[in-house]
Amino acid sequence: MNPIVKRMLGSSLARALAHPSSVDDYLALIDDRLSLAEPRGRVVHAVRQTPDSVTLAIEPNSNWRGHHAGQHVLVGLTLDGARHSRCFSIASAPDEPLIEITVKRNGAGRVSNYLVDQAQRGQLLYLSPAEGDFCPRSQAPAKALLLSAGSGITPVMSVLRTWLSHGASTDIVFLHYARAPVDMIYADELEALAAEHARLQSITVFTGAGGARLDAAALDAQVPDLAERETWLCGPAGFMDTAETLIAARSSAPLHREQFAASRRASAHGQGAVQFLKSDIAASGEHGSLLEIAEDAGLSPPYGCRMGICHACKCHIAEGTVRDLRTDRVRQVRDTDLQLCIHAAAGDVAIDF
Amino acid sequence: MSKPTHLSEADLTAFGQALDQIRDDVMSDLGERDARYILRVLRTQRASEVAGRALLFAGLLPPAWLAGTSLLALSKILENMEIGHNVMHGQWDWMNDPALDSATYEWDNTCPSAQWKHSHNYVHHTFTNIVDLDRDLGYTLLRVSEDQAWEPRFLAQPGIALLLAAFFQWGVALHDLEFERLGRDKSWKDMRAQAGQILAKVRGQLLKDYLLFPTLAGPLFAPVLAGNLSANFTRNIWSFLIIFCGHFTDEVEMYDRAEATDESRGQWYLRQLLGSSNLTGSVPFHVLSGHLSYQIEHHLFPDMPSHRYREIAPRVQALCAEYGINYNTGSLARQAGGVARRILRMSLPGRRRRRVTNTAADFAEAA
Ligand code: FES
Repeated sequence: MNPIVKRMLGSSLARALAHPSSVDDYLALIDDRLSLAEPRGRVVHAVRQTPDSVTLAIEPNSNWRGHHAGQHVLVGLTLDGARHSRCFSIASAPDEPLIEITVKRNGAGRVSNYLVDQAQRGQLLYLSPAEGDFCPRSQAPAKALLLSAGSGITPVMSVLRTWLSHGASTDIVFLHYARAPVDMIYADELEALAAEHARLQSITVFTGAGGARLDAAALDAQVPDLAERETWLCGPAGFMDTAETLIAARSSAPLHREQFAASRRASAHGQGAVQFLKSDIAASGEHGSLLEIAEDAGLSPPYGCRMGICHACKCHIAEGTVRDLRTDRVRQVRDTDLQLCIHAAAGDVAIDF
Repeated sequence: MSKPTHLSEADLTAFGQALDQIRDDVMSDLGERDARYILRVLRTQRASEVAGRALLFAGLLPPAWLAGTSLLALSKILENMEIGHNVMHGQWDWMNDPALDSATYEWDNTCPSAQWKHSHNYVHHTFTNIVDLDRDLGYTLLRVSEDQAWEPRFLAQPGIALLLAAFFQWGVALHDLEFERLGRDKSWKDMRAQAGQILAKVRGQLLKDYLLFPTLAGPLFAPVLAGNLSANFTRNIWSFLIIFCGHFTDEVEMYDRAEATDESRGQWYLRQLLGSSNLTGSVPFHVLSGHLSYQIEHHLFPDMPSHRYREIAPRVQALCAEYGINYNTGSLARQAGGVARRILRMSLPGRRRRRVTNTAADFAEAA
């Protein structure tokens, strides 16, 4: 959107004229992608590098504030009338105009499977601002190890692209564990980059059909100077735990782990008692978000992102005092629907669940 | 009275289960088709608002003024009835669309959504037609049931009803203040906080409809102002009419507290059903009424997407026939007549002689 038009539409006059709706509600008449504040985007390329993945290049609207290497984004789309969202790591370097994500097919994951099978040019995607701080600074260290497994390659790829695009002269070992060659995304690009940059060494290990696993011997052989390298790590939880133990025993250099914002958010504190009306269960509101309290009490309310974006976890609150974990604002509510994942008890809360 | 006395507890249980089945059938089938419907309504509403306001800017020409005002009224009616009311019931929450989210939706009405969700979704829909508990019964202004004690002020109620119709959104806005609880279990402080929210909402609407848009029209200030006033007025009359026809028609039942304590699921359904009345009409009529022309279905399943009421109504009606339960429906004219009669009758002291029908014998006879 033209910045001047955007400024006008964002003015208090425009807001007063749209009252009580928002200017966005009227912009939607013209185009779904238009919004004054919400980042949204359209797919411009969908490339299927492997049979069960798709790499999407997304052109965001002007509300996209950019990202840092290794951050992720919540991608939402409408399936059977309802909006669903899921987090994906961003593989593109921050200064590229398109956001690139790679989506792998995932058992029951409706969003992933839909994107792998159906995503095509023009698809509208709802986006969140980039989240996570895998790579808080963009200058590269002198020596680095990029270690990934499976689809954990995407955030690590973003780190690599960032460094290379900045012309960094880092000595990089890119060690990736994939199940089989057909499963490996970015294989061609990695090969090309390694050919071009003398200081980049790319090693791929295939784990399928009795292949090798990450262990002490392999690591010592592949990265003998590990002690001198700062590490960026991403992959399934088990892989990351193994890698972290192995690395900690060999190096005291910093290690960066990719984790989603939700699991990283300092655990919520609350007070008061939480009463689940329909299931007739009472719990303490002291530890965790209302969603976690419900889960600890053996209930299973629906959830999606666990970070306040998808609204899947919304429940009806009969009455109570709650704290919004994003703003720390405490408020009293009655007869309202609230997202359980981003609210903690700040007094007694009665939830219709 | 026509509250059925022929239904055994087992009948009521089976009746309740049959209704639960209808609900499950619909709720498990929600999807694309429903989303398409509400998004279409939303688009129509916004487009007619934009077009209406644009036409009003050409308001010196009487046809443009009339068309502009009508489109604006149409938009306000759609927004309050089919969109706002139903969104705030949570009917569209499953879509996860922030524009249709019951938690954040703010409707184009002087009543703040949060207060409406309390007075309407909670108080009215829980205590439907229980005298002294359901504050929608006459809105604490009118006597609509012989179970309410008569007071001389009710002699004026035909006039008060007309005033309420004209200023309906303002009545709705003040409704949740619950003046009558002041000094009892409600503090002035709570009252002031609520009044603050109402004022903010009122300010927004007054500013937009009666100051900003007329001012933007420059020399056409007066016609635009008049157009906005008329659109709000039309919406007021329309919603008053639909809502009164939904609960205060002739045959609708009222309850006292004792009758409604410890209700089973079946009894709860039955009270919702007998406390509501439907209107017959065309599809556009139903849409404009926010499908409150299917008040019975709405009261049985307040969080079911509204356009499905049309589909399930025949099943509900057949179920009523099967169990010998009165299914109160009729044309707008017929039902409005019933409302007028009730308001007039209740303005005078005295109790109505109740009809006794729908006993087991009647049922057998009818069958
Ligand atoms: S789980 Fe997504 S908003 Fe709570």
